[in-house]
Amino acid sequence: MAQESHADTATAPDTHPAKRSLTVRQAAVTLLIVVVLGLVAGAVELYSDWRSMRGEIRANTERTLRLVQGSAAEAAFQFNDALATQVVDGLFAYPEMRRVVLRDNFDGVIATRDRSDEQPDAGALVSSLFGDITDYRVPLTYEAVRGNVTEVGSLEVELAADVIAASFMQRGGVILTVGLVKALVISALVVLIFYFMITRPLLALHRAITRIDPTRPGEWPRPALPGHERDELGQIVGSLDALMQAFQRGLHQRDQARDENTRLGAELDVSRRIQEILLPSQAELDAIEGLEIATYMEPASEVGGDYYDVLAHAGGVRIGIGDVTGHGLESGVVMLMTQSAVRTMLTSEETDIVRVMEVLNSTIYNNVQRMGCGKNLTLALLDYHPTAEGAAARGRLRVSGQHESVIVARASGAIEVIDTDELGFPIGLVEQMSEFVAEIVLDLDTDDIVVLYTDGITEAADPDDRLYGLERLVEVVTAHRRDSAEALKCAIVDDVKRHIGTQKLYDDLTLVILRQK
Amino acid sequence: MKSLEGDGYRAAYDRERGCVFLEGSLRLNGLTEYAPISALLDEALEGCDQLELNLTRLEFLNSSGIATLSKFVINARNRKTCILTIRGSNAVPWQGKSLNNLKRLMPSLDLVLE
Repeated sequence: MAQESHADTATAPDTHPAKRSLTVRQAAVTLLIVVVLGLVAGAVELYSDWRSMRGEIRANTERTLRLVQGSAAEAAFQFNDALATQVVDGLFAYPEMRRVVLRDNFDGVIATRDRSDEQPDAGALVSSLFGDITDYRVPLTYEAVRGNVTEVGSLEVELAADVIAASFMQRGGVILTVGLVKALVISALVVLIFYFMITRPLLALHRAITRIDPTRPGEWPRPALPGHERDELGQIVGSLDALMQAFQRGLHQRDQARDENTRLGAELDVSRRIQEILLPSQAELDAIEGLEIATYMEPASEVGGDYYDVLAHAGGVRIGIGDVTGHGLESGVVMLMTQSAVRTMLTSEETDIVRVMEVLNSTIYNNVQRMGCGKNLTLALLDYHPTAEGAAARGRLRVSGQHESVIVARASGAIEVIDTDELGFPIGLVEQMSEFVAEIVLDLDTDDIVVLYTDGITEAADPDDRLYGLERLVEVVTAHRRDSAEALKCAIVDDVKRHIGTQKLYDDLTLVILRQK
Repeated sequence: MKSLEGDGYRAAYDRERGCVFLEGSLRLNGLTEYAPISALLDEALEGCDQLELNLTRLEFLNSSGIATLSKFVINARNRKTCILTIRGSNAVPWQGKSLNNLKRLMPSLDLVLE
């Protein structure tokens, strides 16, 4: 996924239309501005040229006419055709003259020269520029008698607008051409400078960004951009690098947190598995003679170290229930060792409960010392034996070890709550504890019930942090004492769950119900 | 007065009054982390004929802490030279059963639950 997006980004600039390229847009804008500025400057220059040229043409023409005015007047006064022709030819020698006419004072033509046939009328542009200064008429006067000046005719000339405009148009063409060339050169120069100073380093930066590996942003190929270390581009690269390093640190922290979570999750899974892997199966429980047994265990979200086991043997049943201090993998391991040690003692056919507790304590104590964790556990061991035919009671239960109280609900309705504090000592807490081990013996009649539990039940908290308590447990047992072991178990679990409500389950819940058949 | 302080707890030995105080919540990880507190208790026990361990303001003590206290009480019992008093509080849930177990480890221990 990351690779794909990486590739997309890398190829994107190639698919962009040329007009979106920064260089092209910059060139176009520069060209436009330079052309407009060039045109405006050229227009101003041409306008000024046009004005001075018009003045010059007018002045030159008038001066020329004044020069020949005397000769023309004499020719008109004397009707001297030769002189008139000479004057008209003289003027007509100027290439810009289109038509020259010398008239007498009766409007009769004395001499004329005309190029109208050779020179077509000027175009509209030329006419509008110079059309108004092509026609001149000079009156001719002659003073035959001193003080008596009489008009003898007139000299008219018409200038060829094309000819007088030619140099102006040529100049205009040059200005326009030079302006365009200048605009192109300036644009090219600006684009080149822009490209080398900005576009090229930007492209280098872009290439570097497209090569960023999203999984390792801190190792991005930071572009060198020589000469830009201290300018804005250098600052962008610096900021980007800081950002990438921050991303890298963030990713690193995320990975660490994820690894830690994975480890904790795996540990939790293992702890949960450890706790449940060696529990007796329903088939095992059903096969036990003399006792109806129901069990329940629910690990807390952070697995505690609750332990229970029901082991059938030739003479009867050994039941263990305990609670390792703390939570997590270590508690689970201690619980596993306890299960193993209890079964080992049973297999070795050790019947002396003091000896059993002593060996269990020594085993757990020494292992816990190795673990260096100071874990210990409450542990009650119960040995059940069916009694011989004809005995007063159906079964006999010996209880030993320090754990929670044992609740006995007699078929008669009597309730006994047996404190086990004096029956043992926490297993694994001290090196020697055999002196604290004691046992009590309970005779069980048909339908007598024994309830074993861990503090997860009595210390289950409701949303207001009120504990479930032993009293309420005894009440539920009393209310359901005529039910089957399974039904009593369900009644207790339901009531505890009702109590917990929305509150988190802080500790494992373990329950073992024995009912004398 | 010699004292140790950590995250949420304080341990102090007042030599003049012959009293060690443990206060707050002790959740140190494993026996090795309890070694400084263990050393402080052993130091208080050294050459002392009467010592009080005041736990009335110790609201929580984890299993490694209880193991440390158990070792300390066994140590005191084996020395036989010191009259040990442990002052606890009935208002603190963990203390009831655990302090009674300490008393069972050392029957001469004077356990005062307030």
